[in-house]
Amino acid sequence: MSAAGGGPAGSAISSELLLVIGIIGGLIGIYLTPLNHLFGPLFASLGAVCAIVWGSDAIRRVASYGLGTGVPSIGYMSLSIGIIGTLAGIALASSSLLRGLSVVGPVLALVLSMVLGLVVAILAKKVVGMKIPILERCTAEIAGAAALSVLGFSAAFAGSYDFAQILTLVIGPGYIALFFILNTLAIQHPFNACLGPNENQVRTLKLAGACGFLAMVIIGIITIGNPALTWKGIPASLLINIVGLGGWIIFFKKYVSASFKEAASVKWTGLWPKIEE
Amino acid sequence: MDPITLLLLIMIGGILIGGGVHFIPVGGAPAAMATATGVGTGTAMLAAGAGLSGLVTAASMSGQPFYIIALGGAVGAMLMIALTMVTANLIYVFGAGIVPSSAKVEIDPITGRNQEKYVTPGTEGHGIPTVCFVSGLLGGLLGGAGGGLVYYAISEGFKGLNGFTPEIAGGLVAIVAVGIFFINSVIASYNIGGTIEGFHDPKFKRIGSGIISCGIASLVMGAFVYLLTIGVLPIGGVA
Repeated sequence: MSAAGGGPAGSAISSELLLVIGIIGGLIGIYLTPLNHLFGPLFASLGAVCAIVWGSDAIRRVASYGLGTGVPSIGYMSLSIGIIGTLAGIALASSSLLRGLSVVGPVLALVLSMVLGLVVAILAKKVVGMKIPILERCTAEIAGAAALSVLGFSAAFAGSYDFAQILTLVIGPGYIALFFILNTLAIQHPFNACLGPNENQVRTLKLAGACGFLAMVIIGIITIGNPALTWKGIPASLLINIVGLGGWIIFFKKYVSASFKEAASVKWTGLWPKIEE
Repeated sequence: MDPITLLLLIMIGGILIGGGVHFIPVGGAPAAMATATGVGTGTAMLAAGAGLSGLVTAASMSGQPFYIIALGGAVGAMLMIALTMVTANLIYVFGAGIVPSSAKVEIDPITGRNQEKYVTPGTEGHGIPTVCFVSGLLGGLLGGAGGGLVYYAISEGFKGLNGFTPEIAGGLVAIVAVGIFFINSVIASYNIGGTIEGFHDPKFKRIGSGIISCGIASLVMGAFVYLLTIGVLPIGGVA
């Protein structure tokens, strides 16, 4: 059982495995972005989906202790931490302090976000007095997932993880605000929707996958706004949309069938019954 | 702007935001069912509504001295929180049919009217009584002014940097200011355990630890903003 307040239920997939998938998948996706104008953005957004699944699992672990403020609050906070950390990280990598080392940008973004998340969690525990044993680890993990997912989608849209490109193509026109809300919802919604007495990790993560791919579809649609992302006449937006829609259909079907299977019984759908009992 | 002023302004702004949250009648899920006093949603949503409107009005005062920007932010946030509370009260009174009353005090400290008689048994009060409304306005004032100060600090901190062109200015300053606003409001929200009625609530005494943690967190975030200014520098030319 994983109702808010009791701590997480047993998990079929270990948190370490999801952490590895999130970090390695996210970083590989982001680092493959400059490879090609068609497949680069696809890999970057797939990396962001890996990070979203990791973040959802971390939210599930921490929010099952009962934060008192609702599940979305830690999502919004961690995404804010992730965005500030990401911007500082890729900015630092492109600065004169680390001249020629802009390749460390994504790793620096991940590390700085996790550090800021850790600082905030330590304050919440030591000064505010929150009593959640895994608060530090989970806040840092969610912040790291937030950083990789925002950077992944930004890199997919800009076609590069270089700070100058992201600044002019993503932050200037305000797409970053869309990524902020989009990724917050994708990371916090799965557990917020599934929590309760019959919560189960695999079902929550199926919804997380569906949310991640749905966010990817939206990235695919807005990538139409960057006409530079084409290769041999095929726009990257088309590929991202096809893969995103395919992934969403697969995960959403799995999620719905898991919900039907795990429900005690599905008797009433919200509509009035035709025959009175 | 020198780094010390930048850090100080972001810290003061963060403290004002964190302090402001303690004044806002956040009711959470119980208030949504009219079984607790306050607006029926969490801090994150109220911060998104009132805080972002405050940032918009603060940004509309760009180029003015810092106190005008802070006041601009305060006006926007106060207007939004006031409208939220009025609309919530309309729904509570005419939709749910309850009398706005607080269970935390026997008489309303502002109007002096009895509260106890009107609280439905089994609930912790409902709706937004006068004291909560006034407290909420004060919260909007503090939070909005804090958000305005943070906005001012960031936009001044970037000013004069090579890469800080007008095309990226709005987006960059806005997203960093929104981030700092959300982090501070959620830390303050942890401090009140998710719900509070206003300055008359016994939980309000915890404001000290909330302010300290928001101050320290803002200081760290200020350092991150400073790192960001180093990175914005070389774009588009040699520093």
